[in-house]
Amino acid sequence: MAPAVGDPALPSAPPPAQRPALRRTGRPTSVPRLSPGVPRASRAIRRRQTVIAYLFLAPTLLFFLVFLVLPLLFAALLALSRWTGFDLSDIRPVGMANFADLFAHGSTFLTPILTNTLLYAFGTVVLALCGALVIAHCVNRLRFRGFWRTLYFLPLVTTVVAVGNVWKYMYEPGGLINGVLNGLGLPSLAFLQDPDTALPSVIVVQAWASTGSAILILTAGLTAIPGVYYEAAELDGAGDRTIFWRITLPLLRPSLLFVCLTQFIAGLQSFALINVMTGDGGPGDATNVAALEMYQQAFRYGDWGIAGAAAFVLFLVIAVITALQLWLFRRKDEEA
Amino acid sequence: MSGHRDERARRSGSTPSGNPPTGRRIRLQLGPRLRLRLRNRTPWFSYAIVITGAALTVIPFLDMLMTSFKGPGEYGKLPYRFLPEAFSLTNYRAAIRQLDLPLLFRNSTLATVLITGSTLLTSSLAGYALAKLRFPGRELVFRLVLATMMFPPFLFFIPHFLILVHWPAAGGNDLLGRGGAGLTVSLAALVMPFLVSSFGIFLMRQFMVSIPDEMLEAARIDGAGEFTVWWRIVLPQTKPVAVTLALLTFVSSWNEYIWALLVSTANPRLMTLPVGIQLLQSHLDPDRMVPVMMAGLVLSVLPVLLLFLLLQKHYVRGVMLSGLK
Amino acid sequence: MKRRTFVGRAVGGTAGGITSRLASRMASGLASLMTNGAMARAVASGGALSGLAGCTAPGNEALREGGGGREEEGRGGAGPVTLTVLTHYANEPLKSALQGAVDAWNAGAGMGVGVGPGAGGARADADADAETARRRIQVRTTAVAFPDLLTTYMVRQAAGQEPDILHPYCLWTGQLVRAGVLRPAPPEVARQIRRNYSAAAVAGASVDGTLYGYPTEVQTYCLYYNKRLLHAAGIAGPPRTCEELEDAAYRTARRDRHGNTLVQGFGLSRSDDSTVVGQTLALLAARGGRFLTPDGRRTALGSPAGRAVLDLEHRLIERGAADPGVSLFKAFPAGQVAMAINAGWWTASLRNVMGASYREVGVAPVPGRTADDRGTLATGFLMGVNARSKHPQEAWEFLRWLNAAKVPANGSKAGGAVGKPVHGAGRSWQGQSLVTRMSALQVSVGSMTGRADDMRTLLLELAGATSVDPNLRPFLDALHYAAAEPNGPRAQQTKTLLRKNIEEVWTGRTPVDAALRTLSRQVDQELSRPY
Repeated sequence: MAPAVGDPALPSAPPPAQRPALRRTGRPTSVPRLSPGVPRASRAIRRRQTVIAYLFLAPTLLFFLVFLVLPLLFAALLALSRWTGFDLSDIRPVGMANFADLFAHGSTFLTPILTNTLLYAFGTVVLALCGALVIAHCVNRLRFRGFWRTLYFLPLVTTVVAVGNVWKYMYEPGGLINGVLNGLGLPSLAFLQDPDTALPSVIVVQAWASTGSAILILTAGLTAIPGVYYEAAELDGAGDRTIFWRITLPLLRPSLLFVCLTQFIAGLQSFALINVMTGDGGPGDATNVAALEMYQQAFRYGDWGIAGAAAFVLFLVIAVITALQLWLFRRKDEEA
Repeated sequence: MSGHRDERARRSGSTPSGNPPTGRRIRLQLGPRLRLRLRNRTPWFSYAIVITGAALTVIPFLDMLMTSFKGPGEYGKLPYRFLPEAFSLTNYRAAIRQLDLPLLFRNSTLATVLITGSTLLTSSLAGYALAKLRFPGRELVFRLVLATMMFPPFLFFIPHFLILVHWPAAGGNDLLGRGGAGLTVSLAALVMPFLVSSFGIFLMRQFMVSIPDEMLEAARIDGAGEFTVWWRIVLPQTKPVAVTLALLTFVSSWNEYIWALLVSTANPRLMTLPVGIQLLQSHLDPDRMVPVMMAGLVLSVLPVLLLFLLLQKHYVRGVMLSGLK
Repeated sequence: MKRRTFVGRAVGGTAGGITSRLASRMASGLASLMTNGAMARAVASGGALSGLAGCTAPGNEALREGGGGREEEGRGGAGPVTLTVLTHYANEPLKSALQGAVDAWNAGAGMGVGVGPGAGGARADADADAETARRRIQVRTTAVAFPDLLTTYMVRQAAGQEPDILHPYCLWTGQLVRAGVLRPAPPEVARQIRRNYSAAAVAGASVDGTLYGYPTEVQTYCLYYNKRLLHAAGIAGPPRTCEELEDAAYRTARRDRHGNTLVQGFGLSRSDDSTVVGQTLALLAARGGRFLTPDGRRTALGSPAGRAVLDLEHRLIERGAADPGVSLFKAFPAGQVAMAINAGWWTASLRNVMGASYREVGVAPVPGRTADDRGTLATGFLMGVNARSKHPQEAWEFLRWLNAAKVPANGSKAGGAVGKPVHGAGRSWQGQSLVTRMSALQVSVGSMTGRADDMRTLLLELAGATSVDPNLRPFLDALHYAAAEPNGPRAQQTKTLLRKNIEEVWTGRTPVDAALRTLSRQVDQELSRPY
């Protein structure tokens, strides 16, 4: 930002063809063209433009202040305090006691809650990514791609209340899935009631619901791979499998990374689906996840400090995992 | 493109006997879409996978539809039957009777429209400033916008609630935000935390960057102010991305559940459709309520499903754009 | 959400919160004196003991609150006062029963009719005054489903949209008191409650010896059994010991070839807390065990009794006599469960859902180690006043009317709890039995109240009446020996931990011993945290 302030007006605009590329870097190189012959006026114009720009940005910045900066400070304060949530003057600072309680011997936060959270996110990503990769790969060879995409998209535009409840009742003893199992001569499963199957059952639903967007992004990624690579590979006599592992997958890495990251983060913090399907995260703690625990601690038990601390721990986990994934993919990029 | 030709081309392309140079020449003459097909040696396998996947995606929706038509006592009966014995509308009548649909639709619609409108407005304003205006701090603001997308929403969940409750001089609060109900007395509680979307700003900025400066410059020279430039020149051009953004926002606001659940727990008059339907479920007599719930869900899913089917191209583009971050 | 709006009649010259009895004692001129609140404040400072809820005047059955309020804002002189009640009576028949009583209050029903001993001119005037006072206080009820109730209380309190009157589960008393939600009952109310309610009911509504409201219903746990299923298995009567129960469970259970449960011998269900923890704690109490140590600081489930109960449950599931995956609330009414332990409120729900086949349902005490062992769990609800309510006097006034003032019992049969008020408290008037409106309400829907006298009146004196379910008798008997659920400030969390660990055992993931160890570690950690 600093260099832009004192810059004289650029003598001439870059050729139009170059401009978008320059802009995309995000650097303030794109300068509205000012008539080159009036340097004196330019400063006043620029000052006016600054005022106008901040006027344009005012609603956004105000929103960020109230709904971003303030909440962050508040969240930090809560995590370090004990509070029942009713009267602001009752907030009592307790230092790191909430964090100590979260990880105390006998606390359920680390196991099973945090492990569930990771399993949930991981399971969702693996299922959705594999499913989406296979389907995107296949869809790309078919006609009526739009039609297929629309179908796969339905869960994405449906409210979590519908998704959760439809699946919840499909999992019931009298529901569709057990009906199919019985029809095949298999015994019924108590999907959501059995702690061994409850978490996987919920993971399947979350993956089911998020496959649509993954397919879309991956098909976009697949279409963007230049055909030349495939031709070259086929010339070299590479089989389908080799082509997939050696060309498709590596070139799809940016799309894969994106899907991986966004869905992992979404999985770590999602609890709406679990709230709809198993209520409080039962049976036992089998489907309890960190964000749900945070919600319950604050709004059910009036323990806002613990809830705030849980939120921060989860935030930290998300940050670390994001960084890890970015680093992992970047390193592979360098190797390649 | 005719299927027969594709098929023939595919077969000829994959004949093992064809010598490489000839094969290459042939392939190079084909268009890019055909070339994709050439690689496909087993299209039926692909069809099988895609159709299976599609069936898995659609069947739960069909089950929801079928269950909503099932008569009393029919759900939960063993053995399971997919189709209802007789298509009855009793569940729809029950859902309409038990849900305060005017209130739920009003809240859902108002909140969704307000959020969508505000997102469009603030995104295009901020996007324009970030894309086309030159001012100190631009880079910083843009980085800030990008950074906000990294913060997980749940971190703000509790603070947002408290900020709305303790909003100064609202809902019986004093100037320090104490003593009253704050903004939770009004629809603002449903809307406020979603008024600005960082993703929207990002999307708008990326799109506006590609609008040629010459157009804006010409307008400026003609004496148009920045606001006029934004309104008259930039906004009309951003229509496609605006439709996409509106659709994405609309769908996500309409479907929003957790925040609406919290707000309507505090104030039931702010209940939205998803929350209202979720509360239909009875822990004492679950089976009786399941078909009624499904009927309610069909009613609530329909509007957004229709909208999606009508405008799916824009929606699809939005999700693809989100992948370009 | 239907919103009822009641337009109270604005009446000058009377303060709110004068009961019929007070009015009958006072000259009508006194009422105008109270308008400006001066007297109220004088009495309040005189009765400073009450501290929070204002003042009380001596009275027998009925509590007097001074008119006028300490928080004068929001009272707006003679403007109408609207009290909000948040309850879990969201389903029939409880919903209508409570609404009937509230409607009667709002309409001032029965006032000024002059019913009662010595109804005369002066009294009629006073009643008329009281009626106008009553009409100034309008009550509005809202209800949420029980699983959402605690969250709703906490969120509404945090959002500054708290109800004036709460109707919480006794388990939460500790949490609500520590969070400053509940207001202690005025001393006179507390005295009265201690005198009239059973020990378990009083314990549930108190924290550290302070009472926080009227116990409205007390639920004891008993064994429900399906006579037809037991009979079909050749079992003559309900089991009297744990061994008999286990045996009967194996003999009645049936499954189809896919392994779907057709009939459960004993319905262990993870439908909700009451079915998971309630069942277990009732069985535990019948064997003389308890969940927490008497001081409420540690677990006591590791006792032989605790082990025996969890072992029993584990065996029942393992041998296919119980299937926790099936909802008890739908399987039992459908005749697919031979036995289950649940609270008394379920009789009403079952009668509603089962219709004619309710005849098959029988109730017996929870079996212990021997046929003579008696012990079970008592849970309950209380109605208290929000610490933030702007109209505490009016709120206690309404609660007193609902929970303490007596009406003829048989009035309750016809119109729910809309009985006519009776001046001059006693057990009977003109040969009619007298009960409180709440007792009448509870019994009319097949539930129970913690008022021992009313329960005797309603269940024993009216034993011949068809409206009273004989299945309630064992629950009434259990009032004498049942132990209240611990209700410390972290009671809900510890109960949740208990539930989770019981479910771990039920699902076979954790052996009983390990589950007990985990449980005590988790509960002790939770209890050691300062609030």
